[in-house]
Amino acid sequence: MRKWLMSLIALASLAIGVLISSPAVHAATPNYTITTDTTFPPFEFQTDKGDYRGIDMDMLKEISKRENFTYKLKPMSFNAGVQAVQAGQVDGIVAGMSITDERKKMFDFGTPYYKSGIVMATTDKSKIKGLSDLKGKTVAAKTGSAGADYAREISKKYGFKITYFNDSNTMYNDVAIGNTVAAFEDQPVMAYAIKQGTKLKIVTDPAKGNWYGFGVKKGANTELLKKFNTGYAAIVKDGTYDKIVNRYLGKGSYNYKKNAADKVEKQTTIWSLFNENKSALFTGLVKTLELTLVGIVLAGIWGILLGILGVMPSKFARGLSTTIIYIFRGLPMLVLAFFIYIGIPNLTGQKIPAFTAGVITLILNEGAYIGAFVSGGFKSVDSGQLEAARSLGLPYGKAMRKVVMPQGIRLMIPSFINQFIITLKDTSILSAIGIIELTQTGTLIIARNLQGFRVWLMIAALYLIVITLLTWLSNWVEKRIK
Amino acid sequence: MTAIIEAHDVHKSFGKNEVLKGLNLAVNEGEVVVMIGPSGSGKSTFLRSLNKLEEINSGQIIIDGHNISEPKINIDKVREKVGMVFQHFNLFPHLTVMENMVLAPVQLGKMTKSEAIDKAKILLKRVGLLEKADVKPDTLSGGQKQRVAIARALAMNPEIMLFDEPTSALDPEMVGDVLDVMKELAKEGMTMIVVTHEMGFAKQVADRVVFFADGHIKEEGKPVEIFENPQDERTREFLNKVLNA
Repeated sequence: MRKWLMSLIALASLAIGVLISSPAVHAATPNYTITTDTTFPPFEFQTDKGDYRGIDMDMLKEISKRENFTYKLKPMSFNAGVQAVQAGQVDGIVAGMSITDERKKMFDFGTPYYKSGIVMATTDKSKIKGLSDLKGKTVAAKTGSAGADYAREISKKYGFKITYFNDSNTMYNDVAIGNTVAAFEDQPVMAYAIKQGTKLKIVTDPAKGNWYGFGVKKGANTELLKKFNTGYAAIVKDGTYDKIVNRYLGKGSYNYKKNAADKVEKQTTIWSLFNENKSALFTGLVKTLELTLVGIVLAGIWGILLGILGVMPSKFARGLSTTIIYIFRGLPMLVLAFFIYIGIPNLTGQKIPAFTAGVITLILNEGAYIGAFVSGGFKSVDSGQLEAARSLGLPYGKAMRKVVMPQGIRLMIPSFINQFIITLKDTSILSAIGIIELTQTGTLIIARNLQGFRVWLMIAALYLIVITLLTWLSNWVEKRIK
Repeated sequence: MTAIIEAHDVHKSFGKNEVLKGLNLAVNEGEVVVMIGPSGSGKSTFLRSLNKLEEINSGQIIIDGHNISEPKINIDKVREKVGMVFQHFNLFPHLTVMENMVLAPVQLGKMTKSEAIDKAKILLKRVGLLEKADVKPDTLSGGQKQRVAIARALAMNPEIMLFDEPTSALDPEMVGDVLDVMKELAKEGMTMIVVTHEMGFAKQVADRVVFFADGHIKEEGKPVEIFENPQDERTREFLNKVLNA
């Protein structure tokens, strides 16, 4: 017994000793937080065991070993990662990130480590053979990627439109089901995806050769950058780097080239930022309002229908209403949007334009909420009202239409106004299926200029202004009706 | 005299609770029947089953020759002839007094809008509320609301009027006005069935008083017989309570 106690005390003091001495350990081997894209094979991807592998990941591991530092990996979407570095939430980003002049204003990049280029990929059966076939078509690109920049640059010349996606898988799927005719993607990424079974083919030669780099926030983390560069030089020298690339792409074609000198960062104020992006923001706002108005009107009609169904004498009608409301109130709106935009076309082969898919999502989701409060509103009208109307000889339908419903609708007006505002805010979720409304406009602007704080501040202010105006309008309407 | 309302062996249960245990009643044209009895005795339920606001479980109810217990009956047609006045008035709060009056006659094609308005004006004048034609019901007092409700029921030119405790929700000083309107109606020869606790009204206006207890009609007769010389023990007990309260 005593022996057991002794060993317990020994163990405890050992644990305390480790705890006390651990800051010293940290000082000796610095620990960094590094972000990467959640899925950007062959540079980073999650294995089925849950750990991250790929060229970036293997390279980072090798460099950290040689330079004697530890790191905590925080995978997130590329956009979020870029913003997390700028916000100082993470120390560095390694995410197959192209070194562009614009990014150099906000980042310090390490030695460029991989040269990539933009290729265009289509489905096997596509009639699109090159850029000149794109006139009048819509292509897909990943938000904030070099591929998107390239597509935007040449879109006027070849007369095509661009839909933006937040991750590669969604983008490939969109092309595969025919919503968009082609995707613009980095060559190694596309090659790897096709090797892994994505049913697309590359139809152009790599364009706009660009270098990938390891990035830290401008002026910060110089020590980490130095360690990366030294470590990188070492693994290039002894051939480890080539081995890593070969592991994922089958052949090593590495040629090092120095970057052009950094340009001086342009000074911007929030007002000049607003002026620069005025037309984009306005277009986004108009799209948001369009979605909201079309959405709320149609969802209102659908919801009132569901509500009426919910108070019908027929048990079947009531059950149907309850079931529909249960399903569509239970589904997260994002899941519903993806299901309609990607899921259904996958099954039927019939593509649905993003705006239509967005409106259908709003109808089903907001309509379910409206249906619930509409039938609730009708039910909350005193039962004596229906009895009085029926006792005068009015048939059920007329009694409902002339007596119960007008009173119920009066009770529902505050809920309708509330739902209107919720719908306006919910349209931001539809940015995920590539509708360029206000939120997506913000994402796109940030992906180019990386001014996260200022741009989101502008977007938030715009939403608040519109919602304030809507609330005033609704209150005015409410007073008029009363 | 022919019976305009006939009820034969009427049974009605709410779940396991049987509230009407085989009632029989016949009411003649122009007769004023007042139903009294303790609360829960079934008088309101019986009244409501006379225009099918309550479905009875068995038995027959025949209104002006129409057997409304039959499932196929067009109850709306029968209800046009049977006006009903509720304890809580049940005026339509989103409509003005005039709109309340003309809704049913116009919607059911009984009258054109201008005919209905003319008729409504006459009725409102009769209940002393013509100047309230264009206000919403929530600006009226309880007594005024109930008088409008009576006028609204009369706008359909009913042959029978059912009153379900029409003065129970009123302040005492309002009761008189409403009862006056009902007395006048009785004088004009309207067939009326009235559930009430106003014993004075029963004594003065009723052709017949019906005493309800425990889902049965225990006793019925002329007001003098019931009030002066009740035969049933339960009737005596009840009258003792309400008259000496």
